[in-house]
Amino acid sequence: MAKYPFTNEAAEHVRELDLKIEDMSEPILTRAEQRIEEALLYAEVSTQLPKDEIEIASFPVAVMMVASTADTLIKGRYALAEAKRAYKLLNEEQDKNKILEIAGAFNWKIRLADKRPPYEFALSFMDYLKNATRLQAKEWKLVNRVVANGEVYLTKDDTTRLLEEEVRRHIEKKLDVKGKFALPENVAKRVERLEQLSVKHRGKIQFEELPEGIVISAFPPCIKDMYNGLSSGHHLSHIGRFALTSFLINAGMTTENVVNLYRSLSDFNERLTRYQVEHIAGGRGSRTRYIPPRCSTLRTHGVCTRMDEICKGIRHPLAYYRRKLRTIETKAPVERA
Amino acid sequence: MKTIETKTFVRNKFLEYYEKHPSSIQPPTQIEKREFGFLLFKERVMIRHKGFKNVDDLAKTLKTLVPSDVYYSSAYYEKPEEEMGEKGWLGADLIFDIDADHIRTPCAKIHDKWTCSNCGTAGKGVVPEKCPACGEQRFDEKTWPCEVCLESAKAETVKLLDMLTRDFGFSSKEMSVSFSGHRGYHLHVESREVQALDSMARKEIVDYIVGIGLETSFHGLEERGQKKSRVLFGPGLDDSGWRGRIARGTYEFLLTATSEELGEIGLKKKVVDTLIQHKETILESWKEKGPWGAVKDVGVESWRKIAQRGAEMRSAKIDTVVTTDIHRLIRLINTLHGKTGLKKIEVPITDIEQFDPLKSAVAFKEGTVKVLISDAPEFRLEDQTYGPYKNREVELPTAAALILLCKGMAEVKEEK
Repeated sequence: MAKYPFTNEAAEHVRELDLKIEDMSEPILTRAEQRIEEALLYAEVSTQLPKDEIEIASFPVAVMMVASTADTLIKGRYALAEAKRAYKLLNEEQDKNKILEIAGAFNWKIRLADKRPPYEFALSFMDYLKNATRLQAKEWKLVNRVVANGEVYLTKDDTTRLLEEEVRRHIEKKLDVKGKFALPENVAKRVERLEQLSVKHRGKIQFEELPEGIVISAFPPCIKDMYNGLSSGHHLSHIGRFALTSFLINAGMTTENVVNLYRSLSDFNERLTRYQVEHIAGGRGSRTRYIPPRCSTLRTHGVCTRMDEICKGIRHPLAYYRRKLRTIETKAPVERA
Repeated sequence: MKTIETKTFVRNKFLEYYEKHPSSIQPPTQIEKREFGFLLFKERVMIRHKGFKNVDDLAKTLKTLVPSDVYYSSAYYEKPEEEMGEKGWLGADLIFDIDADHIRTPCAKIHDKWTCSNCGTAGKGVVPEKCPACGEQRFDEKTWPCEVCLESAKAETVKLLDMLTRDFGFSSKEMSVSFSGHRGYHLHVESREVQALDSMARKEIVDYIVGIGLETSFHGLEERGQKKSRVLFGPGLDDSGWRGRIARGTYEFLLTATSEELGEIGLKKKVVDTLIQHKETILESWKEKGPWGAVKDVGVESWRKIAQRGAEMRSAKIDTVVTTDIHRLIRLINTLHGKTGLKKIEVPITDIEQFDPLKSAVAFKEGTVKVLISDAPEFRLEDQTYGPYKNREVELPTAAALILLCKGMAEVKEEK
């Protein structure tokens, strides 16, 4: 339980102890604070195991402290660091049944499968997809896996890696509390110190604003092709239009200019186009501004037709734009629209 | 003789069908949680966000609205009649759409036509990128549900069924296949489990089915051992999942591949010659470890290209957008298709090979109609073959007349 404090069993145990945040002992608070500090500084919570009672209770306390910050960066980093810790510990387990047990705690449909080396586990494809879609390497694509009878065949390392992802999602969910909330003063002080640490550590990683003008030469190939095509009256697929429009809006183009771009089409309908562009810009209905689909989605639907060197290092058209801008900005002047 | 307006005539026929066969309307599971949409004949607008408590109300609406096409959502909603953002998405069936439009068939040249919306230039076959006359890219397309196209769509459906059954482990109870009434097939998976799949997970399933992002190195095609004693290994015919499929596709490809086809996938002339020369050896090799490394001078990179081509032959050409869209509207079973007057019907999974869409989907079995046909290809309906026709007045059975009327290839002269 001390090793895997995120399981329901461990949570139940803490509940039975009926501990209140007001009367947590110093060692528990210190270890909780340490967990978060390690996450912020080293992106991984250490696997050292002090006394079980301290280790088990320090986890829910740390979760509470992180949740109270209402800071998505701290939350994300903490969840990831705890997940990495779990991955390390799971990999050290010699008994495969222990892995089954932890997977079972998340209701995975998994079984031992040792008849097909090098695979050791067979996991239901539903549980696989829940966790693998966020992993970007090609080897995690379902199409590159052995899939039979609703199960995906996995090595031990594959399995623990997917469990890491499950743990991360589990903790992120726990941390998903809206707004700040009050903690006893001694705890709040520790949280404050951690928040300052986070700000300091964040250093120069500021939110990257895009420049005001649109730099066409920094567009990724897919967007550039569609942009040029549209300017010369080419028609685009539905998803192509969506990708282009949301890209331009997010790159800072005005609704007016985007609408004008569609004017060259033979079936241009100003009222409808304006409505659609405004909708994507977040000015209508749902009020959310849409961002373009990620690269893998554009590939699925045939919008991505050619990739260049920068494409290989990014997963999102807007990430391409930011990166290319950085390389361009050193060499002026550039074409601005 | 009085000529009857075509649209009115077709609409009246559709009304007749919905009046005569109210009990054939099958409600989707949990009808009260589905959104319905109806395309109207005259206005050509879609009425959306409709909800029904039961199938009787739905059947009544069909009789009053008489839509050209009837759709329902693959999704389940708390409040299906609300605006999109307010509906409360609860889950969605996993659906697949296979349309002959996504498959290149040789017959498209014979029966498919396009007309440039700008200058009126017309041509046959697949729509060009640009109008050869004026450079415009907007076309009016006329496709045709021909037998060859429908057969190839069915072949893709069979491949899809095989993957869903053997790889994904769905049972025939969870799946249903239907003929759309036009040029394609739909496959629905309905189970509690799949309902919760998000769009990302569905995209991964799509990529699996179509083979997008597939790399043969992850499927056992690799070189093992040290420099001089390097040996090539590859997947076997009986392997599970994509491995077996790659092997079987490779077998199939090499069985019939010509020098040109081998050249097209980017193989060097020397490699092509070697493969053609050693065709016998390669075919024999499948009895043991397969062709990988069976012939000298064909290296791992060449085998990758061949295996990729083999994989492509085994992938199923589904419409990628339909499956990833978790709010999709899809045609309701046993309703009429506005482009043909045929009905969307269920296909028995175990008997799919014998299924004849041009027989089973016929909705109108009585009467004849006298029509003036401007231009129509040869076609079959049930056991009768018709056409080709050009500027001719013919008396046809109702179903045959309707398909031409719906396609805009004929006008009504007189109904009997």
